Amino acid sequence: MSDFLLEARNVSVTFGSGSTKVEAVKNVSLTLSAGEPIGIVGESGSGKSTLARVLAGLQPPTEGEIYFNGQPVYNGAKSYTGEARRQVQMVFQDPYGSLNPQLTGLSAVAEAVRIHDKCDKKESEVRALELLKRMGIAQLDALKKPRQLSGGQRQRVSVARALSANPTVLLADEPTSAIDQSAQAQLLNLFRGLLNDGLAIVMVSHDLGVIRYLTKRVYVMKDGVFVESGVTEEIFNDPREDYTKLLLASIPGHLGTAARKKLHG
Amino acid sequence: MTTQNPLLSVKDVIIGIPHRRRETLIIVNKANFDVSSGEMVGIVGESGSGKTMVCRAIIGTLERRGATVLEGEVLFDGHDLAKINEAQWKKLRGKSIGYVPQSALAGPNPVLTIEAQLTEALRNTGDTKNIKARSKELLDLVKIRRVDTVMKQYPYQLSGGMRQRVMIACALATSPKLLIADEPTTGLDVTVQSQIMELLKEIRSSMGTSIILISHDLALIDDVCDKVVVMHAGATVEVGTVKDLENPLHPYTVALNSSRIDVAAPGSELVTILGSAPSVGQWQAGCRFSLRCGLVQPDCSVGEHPALIGARGSHQTACLHADRLKGAGAR
Repeated sequence: MSDFLLEARNVSVTFGSGSTKVEAVKNVSLTLSAGEPIGIVGESGSGKSTLARVLAGLQPPTEGEIYFNGQPVYNGAKSYTGEARRQVQMVFQDPYGSLNPQLTGLSAVAEAVRIHDKCDKKESEVRALELLKRMGIAQLDALKKPRQLSGGQRQRVSVARALSANPTVLLADEPTSAIDQSAQAQLLNLFRGLLNDGLAIVMVSHDLGVIRYLTKRVYVMKDGVFVESGVTEEIFNDPREDYTKLLLASIPGHLGTAARKKLHG
Repeated sequence: MTTQNPLLSVKDVIIGIPHRRRETLIIVNKANFDVSSGEMVGIVGESGSGKTMVCRAIIGTLERRGATVLEGEVLFDGHDLAKINEAQWKKLRGKSIGYVPQSALAGPNPVLTIEAQLTEALRNTGDTKNIKARSKELLDLVKIRRVDTVMKQYPYQLSGGMRQRVMIACALATSPKLLIADEPTTGLDVTVQSQIMELLKEIRSSMGTSIILISHDLALIDDVCDKVVVMHAGATVEVGTVKDLENPLHPYTVALNSSRIDVAAPGSELVTILGSAPSVGQWQAGCRFSLRCGLVQPDCSVGEHPALIGARGSHQTACLHADRLKGAGAR
């Protein structure tokens, strides 16, 4: 029925009421096709993380609805139900806070495998090891606890855990902002591999370098609304909105230099 | 080949920290670089490469972490900072050298108004006249608007970017000759980051302040610095101008350059650095990058870590086989 794998229609999210009312997301619509990499870019407070949480099934929208394969997924419930819950998985920003400090990487991933596949412990561990290996975590490191791993390794364990459900959509909320440059390159190589395997990725970030590298389409978010959206390459080469121009000019290094020249004439 | 003495000269610095039973763990070995008057120098390296520890040696807060400079000299304006005592430090720290810490959000004292924090910093200069007017001048200097309102506010009422501006204002209270900014924009938005960088550049040109910018973002350093110091596993492995580093002479710098996302074609394979940086206390013999290096030779893994080759002030590298890199790492 629907051409889109995941779709947000006129979604708004409001927190609080009266004088403390905050409209975090205001009437935004977004589409994602199977196997497509898209980006949501904006500054802190733009509402991008809230939108990601709505898309991941962790935060019901105040208004509007999310459709997965054409079917409404919230239907008034507090979280996703049914198939969408398994097929849409999320990787969080903070690799230090998103893993249970008491569990080894292997047990964290195996636990997720057991929940989704209902298999026994032994089988889940075999599958977990496979997933971790695919993420470049060797058996020796898989048996370590989070505190013994580097930030980049922890983030790869988180991705392995998200993949344990065998999802069709991976939402990544600033997955590279807390890790250093080399670890970032490693993680992005992995994401590129996942795209080749047919996974759709929603990359939420304020880092336009990451967005340019990985995504085909991008939504630029400011104060809860999309100010500009379109093909990533076109937006980078020819931004329409002043806000997008400013964002581009703020990127350090080569990418920003060109944009700065355009902005300041 | 400068005839003038640099403002700051870090020479063969070794820093150790006491470890179990009188053992000393070496965490920096050896750091080497100069900062001239009015120069902006960037220090890059992975977490744990010792960049923050070297800066602690320059501002004299190593002892608070139990660490000491075991060997080498930190020459600043005629003093060897590695050898002076706490009384002498009090005359220098926060006066000739200003420091902007990493965490903008946690930097300012949460229970003091901005005015109180600036007053404290200004009293430190010994001149207690016109403190209110001077506080306002400082806030003007760091481009804070609505100065009168901000003076009465507490840190929690300000955004991250504003808080970092206040921290810079405090550091500038004593008109220091050298300002050290340790990852001043980590955790801030890109737009705020570029504003803070503009501000640092302006301070440098209007006040002639030398600035050391610590960052793991090479692209950022490229934009604002004159010179780059690359650190790996406690050692300075390459020093050169931003232009020099376009043709790096150390394989670690080559690797850092090629893992940069702003120069990669969208969707292309990104180059990653093999393995991870060796942990403190587990450094191998010879060059500490040798296990991660694609160009490793038999003589790389014996003896001491190679010293920097080349004259101070020129493009220096700690790679024994830099000639093999010519042209390889150009971007």
